[in-house]
Amino acid sequence: MSSEQQPSSAGSAAPRQEMLGAENYVQLVDIRKEYDGFVAVDEVNLAIRKGEIFALLGASGCGKSTLLRVLAGFEQPTRGEVKVDGQRMNGQPPYRRPINMMFQSYALFPHMSVEQNVAFGLKQDGMPAAQIKQKVDEMLGLVQMGAYAKRRPHQLSGGQQQRVALARSLAKGPKLLLLDEPMGALDKKLRSQMQLELVNIIERLGVTCAMVTHDQEEAMTMAHRIAIMDAGKIRQVGTPDEIYEQPNSRFTAGFIGQVNLFEGKIEDDEKDYISIRSPDLPAPLYVGHGVTGYEGMEVALAVRPEKILISKDEPEQPHNKAQGVIEEIAYLGSHSVYHVRLPSGKRVLANMTNVRRWASESFTWNDQAWLSWGDQSGVVLTS
Amino acid sequence: MSKGNSKLSLTLLAIGFVFLYAPILSLIIYSFNESRLVTVWAGFSLKWYGELFADSQIMSAAWVSIQIAFMTASLAVVLGTMAGLVMTRMRRFPGKTLFGGLITAPLVMPEVIIGLSILLLFVSLGDVIGIGSRRGMTTILIAHVTFCMAYVTVVVSSRLSEMDRSLEEAAMDLGANRVKVFFVITLPIIAPALISGWLLAFTLSLDDLVIASFVSGPSSTTLPMKVFSSVRLGVSPKINALATLMILVVSIGAVVAWWLMSRDEKRRQRDMQMALQKGD
Repeated sequence: MSSEQQPSSAGSAAPRQEMLGAENYVQLVDIRKEYDGFVAVDEVNLAIRKGEIFALLGASGCGKSTLLRVLAGFEQPTRGEVKVDGQRMNGQPPYRRPINMMFQSYALFPHMSVEQNVAFGLKQDGMPAAQIKQKVDEMLGLVQMGAYAKRRPHQLSGGQQQRVALARSLAKGPKLLLLDEPMGALDKKLRSQMQLELVNIIERLGVTCAMVTHDQEEAMTMAHRIAIMDAGKIRQVGTPDEIYEQPNSRFTAGFIGQVNLFEGKIEDDEKDYISIRSPDLPAPLYVGHGVTGYEGMEVALAVRPEKILISKDEPEQPHNKAQGVIEEIAYLGSHSVYHVRLPSGKRVLANMTNVRRWASESFTWNDQAWLSWGDQSGVVLTS
Repeated sequence: MSKGNSKLSLTLLAIGFVFLYAPILSLIIYSFNESRLVTVWAGFSLKWYGELFADSQIMSAAWVSIQIAFMTASLAVVLGTMAGLVMTRMRRFPGKTLFGGLITAPLVMPEVIIGLSILLLFVSLGDVIGIGSRRGMTTILIAHVTFCMAYVTVVVSSRLSEMDRSLEEAAMDLGANRVKVFFVITLPIIAPALISGWLLAFTLSLDDLVIASFVSGPSSTTLPMKVFSSVRLGVSPKINALATLMILVVSIGAVVAWWLMSRDEKRRQRDMQMALQKGD
């Protein structure tokens, strides 16, 4: 493991990209899974790079857990192919796959000590006892649980159990590590701390990792790339910022974060700009780049609340603006969210970062306010 | 809560206890009676205990019962665990509900019917292939396993369905095949249920009179059968002594089991507190 010496930090993006290797290290080809006529996973194609942390994100029942269980080998796909490092996994039982999983409940064996839990997988491989001892010590050191080796799982706190579960699933040096709702059993405060720690450990070992979560914040914090799933299908794959800033459909735009959608028709379709006429807004919408579309095409413009500027005076720009009445204010400390009702009845969310103390006091309920945004702030959605 | 209320509940409690334990208490007291007459007190004596141990018929019946109960319990645990695994671990198959119903049916079926049907089976089997025509310990054993297994299955499958499935999956994920997972993970975790299932089957078999009377042979008289037949010839204080000894053994067993359990629970609570104090 040469990547072990490399210092890495979870925060910066640059070393992440360098670490990523082979494009198609883990491949899911046209996977379909049916249960008694119910389609849980439908024509899923995915490629995970070597050393990447990949998150499957979706609401419960979207098929993400089924997909993870297909990878682990607990479920056989109805159709399609699973490949890891060029090897076909179909038909292989879980105990013959170079894949290990950290379960949501951690699934630590209650009748074994921490040490025995971590040693379990190594023992199955027939590793000599002296070597097992060394490897277990190394893994427990990695997750800072060396002092608890003789404890039983029920003598540990939730965070400590998670560390042991991680050590156990990493001990065999799997080609692919699966994390099933890794923070699901932890309280909120511990969560954000463990998220970064987990990423640090996984990146230090350079292990490829696929995780399942329903928590978008968790996926965005931990994963290099995210796949958004809905009703058994993958809707979009991309880095966290791509998914947030360049959603490919109304569904993903609405699924991640908050968004204002202005429905309308393309009025003017040029090479370097388009304008959209929306019944929601009096002024035309102006987008400073061309799109593949035609005049009269039904589209939606998605604008995130933090990209909308709220002001007392009318902005000078002729496009992308509207006046309305402030209906609700949510003061969140770092920023405030304003719910503004336009004359057309459309409700628009606008965020304002509270850069000065008491900045939020400049607007109050029932004030008239102007909303505006730049010509690169919105994303044109055609589906 | 007022004082009068607590007085009332104490009275009710006392009535309940008297109702439950007065017969047993009088049985124990009269086992130390000097007199041959069970109902007339003539002073303290241990002579009936001496006579009990000198009675070779009762002693051999007791030995037969213990042997049968031991083997019944062991076999019923093996078969019951297998049935429990099928009920909880196998995916749906045609007739699973029927199978589940059939397995637990002996719990509610009258013993007379179980005994009679098994006897008829042995008789016809004896006619056809010659097995079961000679009735004795083996036939009692088979009959006892049949109905004890149902109890074990209920106890074991409730523990199995309570158990976190991901424990087995985790073991498989770490490289253990299905057989190994069962022996290294599942079995140790459900062990308490196996022990209580074994004890339950042991007591049921030791206690059974009706089924055993149907399927026993001339050479195999169990303790309940012996007690029942000797009582019909007239109650001897020996039987009181025997019953007292049995109560003693059962009580010791219960107290030991309770002590083990509470010690375990206390240790667990202490460990939990320790973990909480150390924090994360």
